[in-house]
Amino acid sequence: MSHHAAPADRLLGVGILGAGPVTQAIHLPALARLQDILEVRHIMDVDPAVASSVAARVGATSSTGMDTLLGDPAVDIVAICSPHQFHADQVIAACRAGKKAVLCEKPFAMSGEEAARISAVSAETGVPIIVGAMHTFDPGWLAAEENWGDLPEQVHTIRSSIVLPPNARFEDFATEIITRPTAAQPDYSDIEVIKTALQGGVMGLAIHDLPLVRRFTPDFEQVELLHVFHVRPFGYTISLRTPSRTIELRAVMNSTWKPEWSFEAIADDTALHIDFTPSYVQAGSAVAAFSRGSGTERRSSVPTATTATRASGANWLNWPGEPGQFPPRRR
Amino acid sequence: MNGHYTVWANPGAVAGGAVTQTMASLPATFGPAPEERAGSADVVVIAGGFGWTAEATAATGSGARGIVVANPVPEDTSELAAAAGAAGTAVVLDLRWASNPALVGEAADPDARDAVRSALGTASLLDSVATAAPGSDPQRILGEHLAALLAVCGPFDGVARLNGNAAGYTVGGRLGNGAPFTAQGVLTAARPAGVDIRLYTADGGVAVQVPDPDAAWPAEVRVTGAHGELLLPTLYESAHRYAWRRLKEHLHAGTRPDDLAGFARLTDLYATLAAP
Repeated sequence: MSHHAAPADRLLGVGILGAGPVTQAIHLPALARLQDILEVRHIMDVDPAVASSVAARVGATSSTGMDTLLGDPAVDIVAICSPHQFHADQVIAACRAGKKAVLCEKPFAMSGEEAARISAVSAETGVPIIVGAMHTFDPGWLAAEENWGDLPEQVHTIRSSIVLPPNARFEDFATEIITRPTAAQPDYSDIEVIKTALQGGVMGLAIHDLPLVRRFTPDFEQVELLHVFHVRPFGYTISLRTPSRTIELRAVMNSTWKPEWSFEAIADDTALHIDFTPSYVQAGSAVAAFSRGSGTERRSSVPTATTATRASGANWLNWPGEPGQFPPRRR
Repeated sequence: MNGHYTVWANPGAVAGGAVTQTMASLPATFGPAPEERAGSADVVVIAGGFGWTAEATAATGSGARGIVVANPVPEDTSELAAAAGAAGTAVVLDLRWASNPALVGEAADPDARDAVRSALGTASLLDSVATAAPGSDPQRILGEHLAALLAVCGPFDGVARLNGNAAGYTVGGRLGNGAPFTAQGVLTAARPAGVDIRLYTADGGVAVQVPDPDAAWPAEVRVTGAHGELLLPTLYESAHRYAWRRLKEHLHAGTRPDDLAGFARLTDLYATLAAP
């Protein structure tokens, strides 16, 4: 069955570096909803069985090396879905290979130095780079952005709170995963293990909301880390401040069936509260609510919209609640 | 005594403790003392500002059978406890959030304390946020916040202040099983004042939302686990009224509440945070 709205020769070809669970559960289902403009043509993974199996699902070519994919003239756009440490070099290589555009999964880079190198090459080659920071493209976030007025200047407190089951739960509801990385039971008596876990928490989970935090933190460059707790089995509490902002980040990954993912930006008289849907499953966009001393309004998008792929027009809902009362949570 | 008690409240307590409307909801038990008998009222209501323990101690000496303290700040209660014990005076603390009946209810009722404490063994994080109006004293909000947390969760270890400014505070520490806990205060008019307490466990947790006592808004206690989510019975009784109803029951039974013993734990914890 085809949903192509454009002739095949006008479709843009996508090549994906890395065919792990994120590619299988997020990118391929998302791309399936964009068949009128994009076509998956090449899948690369270091595991040849994974590469060929995932490629076969979408009728694409497979390979086990980055150079092969970048040399494929059918690939116009490269999606970097490899482990974090490879992102920078692969983005740069894709730009230099003359591709039309690059989508880099979060995190964009693992250091400021890497980010600067990527930026320089993007400027030199003119290749646009999109970072797969899904919440920054969420229609709920975008609807909030259109309506927050001067709230970013007024905010004094910012909170991100994430409660999720292990990724496998939602991966298995998004697709049929083949091969999944295995992890040994961590030894939390070793401080280095905890440091690694926290770095993973920041670069893999907090990173989703850090661009949002930054939008409300004009003095972000003066951020100060006050305290970190490691949360077992996976999570963190992170207390940050700048001269003008208090920033608190929380995350817990446990075996709960009930995910909660919220972002809050709070000022003296106005607050923004956004409830995001979990990753992997296409559960619709976030719902944003502005509350003021004088009442509450909700901003959301159509509930069938794919969170990170397509910013549909906002559907405005007015909450007729009492002053100061939150609207009912959409759960 | 026929089971009706005269009440005298100092002016600060009348507003802060919602005394008039709360007494009006227990009209068969409490009523205002005549002006000429204010000094011999059965129940004395004291505002819980700085120095409240001395005022309450003096009230025990004047023959009051019951004392209600409206929203007390952390102070050393040992002298008051001794005086109340000697005089047989029932001292009830009307705490802004901690006195909500959803937190610590009557014996047979399921409450937040039971739900939280039964889950503490598998706790991975306790995260709490208190919200109060701009202009509030963050230090005072912290005391009210910690009182609610202590009522529900029990003692904490290694508590320290992580951040603080005119817009709020963050404190952190550890639960008995070593899991972290954080408590943040936020001053804003953009959302209702109250306390949100989230305990996360291996397969779910407990979520508690406590409103201000200005009206009988119900608190909400939800227990999430493999079974699904259980909403505990909702009680439309304000913290003020529940405090006064407890006083009524103690006066009728001739017993004394343990409010001061519980409050001593708050005072100790608060002193830890205030230390340089």
